[in-house]
Amino acid sequence: METFWKTIASYNSSTWICQIVIVLVAVILTVWLLRKRSRAIVVGMKLFLIALYVWIALVYYYVYCSERSYNSIMVIFWLVLAVSWLWDMVSGYTTFERDGRYTKLALVLLCMPFLYPVASILRGMSFPAITSPVMPCSVVVFTIGLQLMFSRKVNLFIVLLLCHWSMIGLSKTLFYNIPEDYIMTMASVPAVYLFVRDYFLSGIHTMTKPQVKYMRWLLAALCVGVCLILVWTLYLEFARGIL
Amino acid sequence: MEEKARLSDVGEFISEYSAHMMGCGVHTSRVIRSARRIGVAYGYDVKISVFQRTIILTLFDRETHEHFNDVVEVQPLPISFEHNARLSALSWKAFDEHLPLSAVKEEYQRVLESPAIHPFFVLMMVGIANASFCRLFGGDWLSMGIVFSSTVCGMFLRQKMTGAGINNYIVFVVSAFIASLCASASLIFDTTSETAITTSVLFLVPGVPLINGVIDILEGHVMTGVSRLVQAGLLIICIAIGLSFTLLLVKDSLL
Repeated sequence: METFWKTIASYNSSTWICQIVIVLVAVILTVWLLRKRSRAIVVGMKLFLIALYVWIALVYYYVYCSERSYNSIMVIFWLVLAVSWLWDMVSGYTTFERDGRYTKLALVLLCMPFLYPVASILRGMSFPAITSPVMPCSVVVFTIGLQLMFSRKVNLFIVLLLCHWSMIGLSKTLFYNIPEDYIMTMASVPAVYLFVRDYFLSGIHTMTKPQVKYMRWLLAALCVGVCLILVWTLYLEFARGIL
Repeated sequence: MEEKARLSDVGEFISEYSAHMMGCGVHTSRVIRSARRIGVAYGYDVKISVFQRTIILTLFDRETHEHFNDVVEVQPLPISFEHNARLSALSWKAFDEHLPLSAVKEEYQRVLESPAIHPFFVLMMVGIANASFCRLFGGDWLSMGIVFSSTVCGMFLRQKMTGAGINNYIVFVVSAFIASLCASASLIFDTTSETAITTSVLFLVPGVPLINGVIDILEGHVMTGVSRLVQAGLLIICIAIGLSFTLLLVKDSLL
């Protein structure tokens, strides 16, 4: 627990200028994608995402979190995600095309990375020992928001890996008392529902067993189950705070 | 002439029928029995040699002494217990009810065109099954959750790569690597992480070829049985390679 916040403090104090630059590039690219989407901007966003994921793997985990046990797992995990984006860029899979269905939710998610430092400050913490917008959890929320905003064609493999990460984040809230990670989990549950529904249950496989309507219920049950776990961990968090 | 055409029709149907059965994971003796049963239903003797990738078939009409010979390739198909059961039942139906060939063909088409299991359902059930394995091997609830999530990631990748026509061995190595890498996240918690990592790749174990291989050898179809076991063994080696990558990278003390 102490090591966790110590590594975050060290990361923030050494890289805050780079983090500001990364946030600015992310904002500019997102606005460009929204306003005048072109092939060059799509490739630019993918290059940015590859660089961002490599940054998290190497700078955050490999350099600044070397004190944490098994940091190499996280390095490889984030490098795998970076490779997935690289494959996506080469194959042109994700098109970053809008269909306008989830704009409001996507906007909320895209703003959520800025909630991380606010949440830390509200918990009585101060810079540099606070969560920042260029940390794994914030990057997960940003990527999910981005995919929701441009949801015509989504790379579900990356989404699933990010959701796996969210689930780990949920466990971390319980084990290491990091309530900021609730933001990520809360963001991923509706996103998973929408992505999986669009990908698997949008009527392409109408002649299947079980029928698509039962699959929708199964997906809803899965999301409700994750929500119940979330509520339970929140309850434990509050109970711990009260005691 | 009409008899010869009928012999060809039945022969071609039995070739396709037996190749489909072999492809979807039926053990050799059942394929032979079912093919012979359909042949007998139309008054023909069926001599059949089944190999892993091809079937050689001869139909003999005892009345006219005409022969029909065919060599058919066995295409790799998804394992389907439903096709296995329904096609076997079809051979009994043809035998017991003396159905005309056109009716048998129609029923065969119906079986082939029956709705597939929904891929999302497969994903969920495979995840739940692997999480249950984790529990059976002594994993706790957190490990089960991580195994479920890891399995879903690995299985989804497997579905996509198989759909893209990528070599099966590569699919197994990559899927095993991704599933075990995701499960290795359990190492950062105070949980049964070794059980989680080990059980995360169990969804890839080729159970049907292993069982069929043993059944084939026991029933005397040694060549088919051995080839099935060799193929299953190669897939298991691929799983081991994928898992070893993860262990070498994140937990090298295990090797």
